[in-house]
This record gives sequence, C-alpha cells and structure tokens, in this order.
Amino acid sequence: MESSILESIGVEIIGVMSPVSICMLLVVLIVYSLCPATDSAPPIRSAANLVYLEVPTDSTVQKLEGALLNALVFVIIIAVVTFLLVLLYYYNWTGFLKNYMRFSAFFVLVLAPAGPLKLLVELSQSRDEELPALIYEARPTVLANSRHQGRSLELLFGAASQSGSVEMQPVSGNHIGTREGGEQNVHPEVIVSESTNPGNLEGLLRQGDEVERSPLVGGGLGGRSSSSSVGSEYSVVVGSRDAPEIVADEERSPLVESRRRGSGNESAERGMDDDGSESELASSGIKLGLGDFIFYSVLVGRAAMYDLMTVYACYLAIISGLGCTLILLSVCRQALPALPISIALGVVFYFLTRLLMEPFVVGTATNLLMF
Amino acid sequence: MTVAAGIGYALLALGPSLALFVTVISKKPFLILTVLSSTLLWLVSLIVLSGFWRPFLPLNSAASWPFAVLIITSVAFQEGLRLLFWKVYKRLEDMLDAFADRVSKPRLYPTDKMLIALAGGLGHGAAHAVFFCLSVLTPAFGPATFFTDQCSQIPFFLVSSIIALAFATIHTFSMVIAFNGYSEGNKVDQLFVPVVHLVAGMVTLINFTTGGCSIGIPILYIIAILTLLHCGKMVWGKLTENQIRL
Repeated sequence: MESSILESIGVEIIGVMSPVSICMLLVVLIVYSLCPATDSAPPIRSAANLVYLEVPTDSTVQKLEGALLNALVFVIIIAVVTFLLVLLYYYNWTGFLKNYMRFSAFFVLVLAPAGPLKLLVELSQSRDEELPALIYEARPTVLANSRHQGRSLELLFGAASQSGSVEMQPVSGNHIGTREGGEQNVHPEVIVSESTNPGNLEGLLRQGDEVERSPLVGGGLGGRSSSSSVGSEYSVVVGSRDAPEIVADEERSPLVESRRRGSGNESAERGMDDDGSESELASSGIKLGLGDFIFYSVLVGRAAMYDLMTVYACYLAIISGLGCTLILLSVCRQALPALPISIALGVVFYFLTRLLMEPFVVGTATNLLMF
Repeated sequence: MTVAAGIGYALLALGPSLALFVTVISKKPFLILTVLSSTLLWLVSLIVLSGFWRPFLPLNSAASWPFAVLIITSVAFQEGLRLLFWKVYKRLEDMLDAFADRVSKPRLYPTDKMLIALAGGLGHGAAHAVFFCLSVLTPAFGPATFFTDQCSQIPFFLVSSIIALAFATIHTFSMVIAFNGYSEGNKVDQLFVPVVHLVAGMVTLINFTTGGCSIGIPILYIIAILTLLHCGKMVWGKLTENQIRL
C-alpha cells in the first residue's frame, strides 16, 4: 500500500512545536526545583519595574496603573535600543554586537509601521544578508526527486480556502517528471541559524547553506520577511527556496499562484543565489525567533509558580496560539508576529484556570468524583 | 511520599497513554496535532463547566445530589462537544482528502481515520488524567502521604491515579467507538458512548460513602474493560470487512 498522507502532514508544525515544548518543560522543572518557598527578598529593580514597584498594600487601581506605566517605559526602552541596533547595522558596525547579543536579553518590537525592526529587515533584505540575530529554523529535508514536502501546509490550507470543491486539477508535465521515483523521506532538521560569520566555527557548516549549529543562547529577533507591509514583530516567516517547483505549481491552483506571485520572485532569487542551481535539500522551513521561545517559557514558568494545572492550561494555550499563527502564516505567506495570539491566549487561560477551574476541579477531585 | 512515589503515581495514571503516544502517535505529526487540539477542547469544556458552576461552589459535601447534577450536566456538555469535535473532524477529513488528491496520493484509509479518532480520545484521556489526578498530585512528591476518610485503606493519591487510569481508558476508546458510530450511523455505538460516560461518572458518586471506593473502583474497571472490548470488536470487524473487500 502506498504511504498515506498522514505520514507527512504537519511535520513543520511539529518541528517547531517540539523544541518549544522541550524549552518550556525545562523551564518548568527549573522553576519547581529552584523556588519551592515564596520569595521573601525585596524585589530587585530591573528594566521591567523602573517606575513602579509593587507593594502588597497598594490598592488594585494603583497596581494596575503602575503596571501599565512600567509596560510603557519598558517598550520605550526596547524601541530605543532597537533603533540603535538599526543604526549600527546601517553603518556596518554590527561585528561586536553579535557577541553582545549573545548575552543580551531580547529585542521586542514597536508596533508602528515605521518601526525599527521593519527597517532592519528591509535593510537586510536589500543587502541580501541574514539578519544579525538568533533565530530558530525547522526545515524538512527532502531527497532530490521529490520536493513536495515543505509546502504541504500551504497546499492544504490553500485547498481549504477555496470554495471546498474537490476536483482533480491537471498536473503540469514537468512536475510529474520531478517526482518520479518518489520515496519521500522527511527528516525535520533542526538548526539554529545565526548571522553569517565565517569566524564562528562552533558548529557544523552545512553544504550550500550559511547556517551553523550553535547553542540556544541569548535572544534575538525574527527571520526574513517576504513582504514588508506588516509593521510589527517579524518573528515567524516561511522562506522557500525551491524555485523551479514554484513555476510548476503555479498552474495547479489559482489561489496558491496569486499568493505566491508576490513573494515568489524574491524567494526564487534568494534560492538561486544561495544554492546556485536546484538544491538537493529543498527547504521551506519555518523560522521562529528565540525571543519567542523566551517569552513563552517565561509565561509558563510564571504559571508554574502557582500550580501544575495552570502550567498545563498555559502550555496548551501557547501551543494552540502557535499552531494558529503557523496556519495563518501558511495562508498569508507573510512574516507574522508569533507572540500576540499565544501570549493573549496564555494570559486568558491562566486567569480563567486560576479563578474558575481550580475550585471546581480540586473540589471534585479531592472528593474522588470524576467524569 | 517521595519523588519516586510521585512519579509512580503519575505513571500509573498516564503510563498506558504515554506508551500509546510513543508507539503509535509520535510517528505521525498530524496525530500529535490531533492530540493537542482534543486536549485543548477538553480544557475549554472544563473551563466552561467551571464557569457555569462557580457561583454554586463550594458544594455542601454532606448531600450528594448536587454532585449528581454536576456530573450529569458535565457529561452532557462534554458529549455535546464530542459531537462538535466529530463535525469539525468531518470537515478536516474533506480537506485532507482534497489535499491527497492534489498531491496525487491515496485518500485517507479507514485505519487512518481510526488513528485520528484514537488520537482524539487519547487527548481527552490525557487531559482528564492531568487535570483530575496530576494537579492534586503535587503534595505526593513531598515526604508524607494522605488518606481520606471515605477510602482509608489506600492513600488518596493511589486511588486518584487508579480512577484516572480507568477514565483515561474509557475516554480514549470511546472516541473511536463514537467516531465510527457517527460515520456509519450506527445507533448502538452512538448511544453506547454517552451512556458509558454517564454511568462511569455516576459510579464515582459511590466514593462518597465510607468504604465506597472498594465497590466503585471495580465497577469502573468493568466499565473500562467493557469499552475496550467493544472497541476491539468494532475495529476487528472493520478491518476484516475491509480486507474482504480488498
């Protein structure tokens, strides 16, 4: 029997979700082992609470105002730092900055269309270089004779966003040619790609790529964008390098083609530049900024300080937010911020679980009443 | 009692689910996604139920009829959500078949459909075990243990894990039965699942009486084994009928 599609759908999503899950699990274990008792030391003043330090005797309104003020100041600080980074990149002074960024915390973006990260991304695109950042990339590797894996997600949801009719569409000739012999082996490769720096030989260099394995240290901002109309955080992007296949697939479904036309030329060029001719490793990987990992883990760690139930609820909320973002990504084909949906869902679920679900479930479970 | 005991209780509740996950589900990424989404659905159903019941809590634990109402409403809501889950799955199945046609691969086999149903059930079962058992298990990692009055022969955590294991089994396999029943229009299967769920929920009410858990838990396990057998029979029938057709 031929292998069914169930073997291969969703590889990229799982390729991104499993490291996120592992990271969260590590953070939860660390939190459980390090803070069993409540913290009695006075809270240290950091960038996150420059303006207002929470005191238990303040009223709720005061605390809320203080929190908002803290958040505003924090965003301003981060915006200033990111603009500084853009300036340095513009004048090609980012050499020392790479080392600094390995130990720096993270870069959060401003939501304005003229925001600094948008400029950064555009500059890096115009120079056709990698961003000076740490990003995480999950890329399925496929053998040369079958290159369909990477974009199964877009095809799947491209099919769905049409009016639902199931028709056999004519397959173009050269496409059949490239798929003969077709055993597909998909190995989701997990690599951390860093900005191109021949001096950094910490890891392996992959053939035809400028990526290296390096430890997941420090934070960074997101990957490339294939269009520049979204002005917020560019942390998740789908890059596509199998240029010849794009042409063939444009005949398959009009919806996929029209979406691809905007981004196809750019990625086609990039594909040609990077690999020369048709690559052996057809790659359309998903990239996730390491700052996103950090924020997800921070939220789950905070939930871990309360209870295991909140941990599980926040984990599910974040993972489902990430899944929604990835699906949206394959539909929109633009760089998307990975944080909003996940963090919003995570916070909502945390409070719902803590306020609503816990009395209910603990009340029934301690009475050995289950359903 | 210790970390070892805590891990032991957790594995007691989740061990078979974990084994199922590692051997069957982790090989296919789509099934992992199904597990995650069905767990999320169960979580959302719990949140909605607790939002509904929040004004009435804490219930007076002397009388047991409020708990019966609680269980009946919860089971009814969750079975309704199961139907919704199936409808979403039908749409997804059409999308997957369309995708299979696009990439010139065969459509979903019946075994694939049953695997997806199994993954959905596993999500439900794992969510049940985590929320009802693991969340109260945190004290078990400490130096002592705890006994309740109603069930004083074995530690509370052990009872909780055993019940969670039974329920995880019931949830996992009743999803397979339910999906098969809905897709074939088999009324027996369609009724079997809610009835079993309700009976299992009501049986836990017996745990309120002193010494009740020595009656309630064996009945629960009989129900779980019954679900397993019914599911096995149904799957066997489906597999053999497909082979005869092929």
